[in-house]
Amino acid sequence: MIVIDTHSRTTRRPRCIRGRLLPGALILLAPLASAWSAPYIPGSEARILAELPAGARHANLATRELTRRRLDIALPLVQFYISRARATADLRFLGYAEAILAPWMSRPDVPTQILVLHATILQSRHLFDASLAELDRALARTPDDAQAWLTRATILRVLGRYGESDSSCRHLAATADPAITTLCVQGLRGLTGQLPSAYAAIMALPQQALPPETRAWRYSELGEMAERLGDDPAAEHWLREGLAVAPDDFYLRAACADVLLRQGRAPQALQLLAGYESMEPMLLRIAIAHRMMHDAAGPGAAALLASAFSVEQQRGDAVHRREQARFLLDVSWQPAAALTAARQNWQVQHEPEDVLILLRAAQAAREPQAAEPAREFLRRERLEDARLGPYGAAP
Amino acid sequence: MKRLWPLTLLFWLGAAQAHIASNGFLVANVRGQDIAGSIELAVRDVELAVGVDTNHDGKVSWGEVRARAPQLLQYVGQHLFLSAQDRVCAVNLGALQINDRVDGSYVWMPFTAHCPTAVQRLGIRYSMLDEIDPSHRGLLTLTAGQVTQSGVLGGPNAAAAFAVYSPSSWRTFIEYLQAGIWHIWSGIDHLLFLLSLLLPAVLLRRHRHWQPVAAARPAVFSILKVVTAFTLAHSITLTLAALNVVRLPSRLTESVIAASIIIAALNNIFPVVTDSRARIAFAFGLLHGFGFASVLADMGLPSGARLLSLLAFNLGIETGQLAVVLGIMPIAYAVRSSLVYRRAVLPWGSALIAAIALVWLVQRALPPVV
Repeated sequence: MIVIDTHSRTTRRPRCIRGRLLPGALILLAPLASAWSAPYIPGSEARILAELPAGARHANLATRELTRRRLDIALPLVQFYISRARATADLRFLGYAEAILAPWMSRPDVPTQILVLHATILQSRHLFDASLAELDRALARTPDDAQAWLTRATILRVLGRYGESDSSCRHLAATADPAITTLCVQGLRGLTGQLPSAYAAIMALPQQALPPETRAWRYSELGEMAERLGDDPAAEHWLREGLAVAPDDFYLRAACADVLLRQGRAPQALQLLAGYESMEPMLLRIAIAHRMMHDAAGPGAAALLASAFSVEQQRGDAVHRREQARFLLDVSWQPAAALTAARQNWQVQHEPEDVLILLRAAQAAREPQAAEPAREFLRRERLEDARLGPYGAAP
Repeated sequence: MKRLWPLTLLFWLGAAQAHIASNGFLVANVRGQDIAGSIELAVRDVELAVGVDTNHDGKVSWGEVRARAPQLLQYVGQHLFLSAQDRVCAVNLGALQINDRVDGSYVWMPFTAHCPTAVQRLGIRYSMLDEIDPSHRGLLTLTAGQVTQSGVLGGPNAAAAFAVYSPSSWRTFIEYLQAGIWHIWSGIDHLLFLLSLLLPAVLLRRHRHWQPVAAARPAVFSILKVVTAFTLAHSITLTLAALNVVRLPSRLTESVIAASIIIAALNNIFPVVTDSRARIAFAFGLLHGFGFASVLADMGLPSGARLLSLLAFNLGIETGQLAVVLGIMPIAYAVRSSLVYRRAVLPWGSALIAAIALVWLVQRALPPVV
């Protein structure tokens, strides 16, 4: 059985951004250093310091110990942790999943499912090349592993390698639900010069027959396509439908917030994102909304984000680089730093959102030639996106 | 706007915590053979490491953390090892506190470590949560002297080594000598005090009038007495304070230093003490010593070279002070007979000094205006 798509879809999106400490983060951080750096002794023994999410308790370690020998316990537990990471954007869950995989990974005969799950974690950390290598290893062993082909197609699509992605999609036809193959293939056609017909093909999929994950994928694909067609009301409709099916899908929520923000509907965006402040991609949209409304909560959200970015950068691992570029552009207004982040992001991934942020940052920094690689990509792939029009890049 | 931030943030901390990967924060300040610092682990990670939610309600209270403090300290002691040139340093962990960060509450533990030799290459073995969350990293801030470096610990860098800036004795001596000279030049309050006492040293008070001294000898003698008394006094208190024998609140010493300048300057305009200014120099010199000590406290004394650096700092102060005396007093001696010196420079100069010191007194004695 395939663990579908909300998976690939949700994680392929929101986390990116790697790079050096950008001055914006530092400036915003300066006043915080003092606000956060003072340890204290709480006044009351009853004071609650943390609430523990399910699966993150010391008592769970006994179960984890069992997973060293029992694949039938290891696999569902890793899947549980990965799904928690996806639903909450809490990166610690990916670490817990890795801890379970580690003893299995060091075996000479690593089970294929373990390899695929490891690849999924690497993908979530935006270590795309390492993830592809792991998937190739899995597929060499089990050539008809649908999950491996689907994950591979998703990664290659994020990297802008549409031809290779398409051939991975077609491997699904033999083993997976036809609707999945359709979504996979039509999604790529929508990025390569056949947007209207791909939109129609996905709309024609009979949604009632689909399992919930596939339905959510369909809605997110439709929402995304409507955005690129310049039909924001339709995009909002599809994305809200998707959220009704999968309220935990934070890619759908972030995409929906973007549609609202683009229309200047900041209060509605805040309403949509209330309660999701702990997720960086959501917090970014919240900060942008506050910025648009010029209200008092803006600096707080901005400072929180800047601080999170700076800790991620000190770690030096794959961080939310696209979000950071957008933060520098739309919240702290540092076009030059935003362009640096957008260019670094472009070196890693080539989604329409990545094209958009590079074009916008280049224009804001008055260095239009910096976006030339993105324009070249648009011409080559015949990517259609109404959002790019104002930046002189509409086909 | 900037002022408002901390308040807004407190609100935000309640409302939102950004999810970031699991990090521990290790701060280490190296001073010779000694290391002082702190280690911080997220409450959530502490739960996984040692199990603090003893009532299993899914919430961790401060009382629960405190009750498991021995287990936590033991865990940290087994997962953090420091060494100097591969020789193990003895680490002592202190009492737990809480620190609120962007992604939630952290348990903060101070530590001190004593190494068998002065640290030149600090080895850190960091294996917190290694089997529980392999993506956990320790974010290191390492300071030695004026140099701060950062590093990432854990994962592939479970054992890491950092070159530590450790100056030679001679360099330390020069560094503290320069700091002493710089302080007397930049800390103009000490100079103004000395100047107030020295301006009349080339004069004599006779029949309620200032008269120039007849020869160089008594002037030099008078200057020598004042400077020696001041030096002796501030050296005593500087040493006592630097070695932590005596501590005075800095607002008090800084205010009294300002007052001492006013008194010394006014004494030139309305002379009360004319023959034994050296006593004023000694009495107030004691307080100026505490002022010097606060500068030294900011710099810190390197362990292993405490007395050397204290001596160097003190010598620096004397050198700077001597340069001023040698620069100004010969001129004062040369013009001592002129009316301008006796009627203008001495009284009006002193009045100006008193006015400046009055402003300082007000600034230092009153609580800061928010």
